[in-house]
Formats: sequence, C-alpha cells, structure tokens
Amino acid sequence: MSIEITAADEVIVLAQVGGMLRELLEEYGLDDAEIAMDTTFHDDLELESVDLVALSGQLREHYGDRVNFATFIAERDLDEIIALTVGELVRYIVASLRATA
Amino acid sequence: MSRIRAGELDVHVQRLAPETPLDGDAPIVVCVHGLLTDSLASYYFTLGPAFAARGFDVLMYDLRGHGRTTRPESGYRLEQFVDDLVAVLDACGVTRPVHVVGNSFGSSVAFGLAAARPDRVASVVAIEGEPPTEEWTRHMADGLADAKTRLAVDEVIGWIEANHGAHTARLSKAANRILQTTTIAEDIPRSATIAADLSAVRCPVFAIFGGDSGLAAQVPHFEASLERCRTVVLPDQGHSVLVERTAETIELIFEWVRDTSRDAVRVR
Repeated sequence: MSIEITAADEVIVLAQVGGMLRELLEEYGLDDAEIAMDTTFHDDLELESVDLVALSGQLREHYGDRVNFATFIAERDLDEIIALTVGELVRYIVASLRATA
Repeated sequence: MSRIRAGELDVHVQRLAPETPLDGDAPIVVCVHGLLTDSLASYYFTLGPAFAARGFDVLMYDLRGHGRTTRPESGYRLEQFVDDLVAVLDACGVTRPVHVVGNSFGSSVAFGLAAARPDRVASVVAIEGEPPTEEWTRHMADGLADAKTRLAVDEVIGWIEANHGAHTARLSKAANRILQTTTIAEDIPRSATIAADLSAVRCPVFAIFGGDSGLAAQVPHFEASLERCRTVVLPDQGHSVLVERTAETIELIFEWVRDTSRDAVRVR
C-alpha cells in the first residue's frame, strides 16, 4: 500500500521536476529532452552546476521550505553532483514532502 | 527563477538568508566568481550555505556573460563589472557596507569596488586574486589571448578531454564560446586600473593564496602597501583554493568577516 503511494508520488513529482527542467532547457533551445528517473543532469541534459542552482530556485518557488535543495546539495561533493540523476532528486523531494505532510 | 534587473542586464542572483543572524545584525557577504568557466555555483556549492548556517546574509550572482546572466557582445571592462555589482546591491536593497569575497578575477572586481565605492565595502576577501593594476591588465591580456587562440582548436579540447575528463572539456568549450562571441578578451586588458601602490584600497583586506600558485608572490607587497591586511598562504595548493580547500577557506573567511564586523562596531 505505502509502496504504491510512493510510486504514485514519484510519478507526480517527476512530472513537476520535468516541467521545471524543460523551462531551464528552453533557454538553451532544448525543450524536447526526454526526462526520466535515470536521466543524469550533467551527461544527458548537459546542465551545468549553475543550472542546478537555478533549478533550486524553481524548487523553492514550487515547494517552499518543505524541500531544502541546499541541504540536499551540501551533503554531496562536486563529483556526486555531476553524476546526479533526476530520480535521486525526485526521491528526495518525495521524502521531504512526506516528512512535512 | 531568481533574476533581477540591474542596469541593462538580467542578473541571476541567489541570496541565502542567515538561519539566525550573527550578532543580531548579520554581516552581508557578497560573492564574486571568476572568469570564463566560473559561475555563482562555485559559491552556492561551497561557502554559501555554510555562511548562511553560521549567521551571514549571503548574496551570490552571475557576472555579465557568465552563468545565467545576460551575455552582451561587448562591455567587459572591469569598471563595468564593478558598476554591475553596485547595481545588484541597489536592486537587492543592500545599503550597508558589505564584505566582498572574490575568487580569482572576482577579487579584481572586489578591489575595484573598494577603490571606486569605499562607502559600499566593509572588507575585501581575495581568494587567489590580484588588484586591478597595470600589471594585472598585462597578465590578463596574455592569459585571455592565449585561451582565445588555444580553446578554438579542436585538438586542444580533445587533449583536455583525454587528460582532464569530459567535464573539464565541456567547461573549456563553454569558455571558448564566451571568448569567441564577445569582446571579453579585448575589453578586460583595457580596464581602468588602480595605482600599483594600492593606495586606493582603504578597507581591510584578507588575501588567501595557494602556495604553488604564482599569485602568492604578492604577499609582501600586500602587507607593505595595505593599511589593514591579513594574508594566508595554503601550502601545496595551486589556484583552485575555493574548490579544493573548501573547509579551510570557509573557516578562514568566516572568522575574518566575524572579527572585522565586530571591530567595525567597536570603532563606531
């Protein structure tokens, strides 16, 4: 039961994060990128670290204080940030939202 | 997205408010990143969150032509970067003097602001940087011309990829784009300069260098010329102090800003 709820939450959050990423990518003229859980920010989407900073601004606008991206990032070193997948961020958001629900 | 209008530019800004303001009135730290491959991310993923957690008000922004700030074709003399910084402070409603932390070229912007607008600066923290003197314009002219020629060559990017990895190669390509599509390489060497005796810089200065970087040779000149100056040289360290020695850098700058702010309160 709880697993089903988590999976459903992940689908919803993935769609939300996908929308934010498309907005960022649009500025580079790349709005048709496929965004899935195993998509990597750096290699697949060719986003730079500064784009992740911009994404954090969008996350804050969307989720408010419930999702602390700065903490998520602070726990990782630069190599881990480069290797980050969309799925890792989505699962973190789902966990944060559930913790503050 | 956190964009503000500053003069002719849309500037990407990130501000991290202090969790609990230090000493009631949080010192404001403004972070200025380096040239070409750099952006505010270098601070956002290093000392930004650490300073906010310890009670500073942290303001980071992308320089013109960099990160997610507008990239005009021309207008890259140092004084234009300094004007942008003043415009960012104004747009963010920052009126108190700030501690300006500069990394590499960002240090030159910080010194430039201290010289042009001493009323806006509480202290300068220079990480691996130089004040904008005549000598600096010559270093910049050589370095930028060299980068503009080399990075345009596919084999050079290939060599970077083979020896330093795909990530560095991509950063190099991005650096090449700004070099080829703007007048940055020509403009920076034509910047307004300050006198070599550094008499234009009256605020306290804290300079951090890597021992293996050529820039550490400025230490005796800084200490002899600047009224209030502290220098630290990190042994066995090259130019990438901020990224490679993050923990020490956070500690050093935190103490400097805290103590300098408290001294200023006492003097008042």
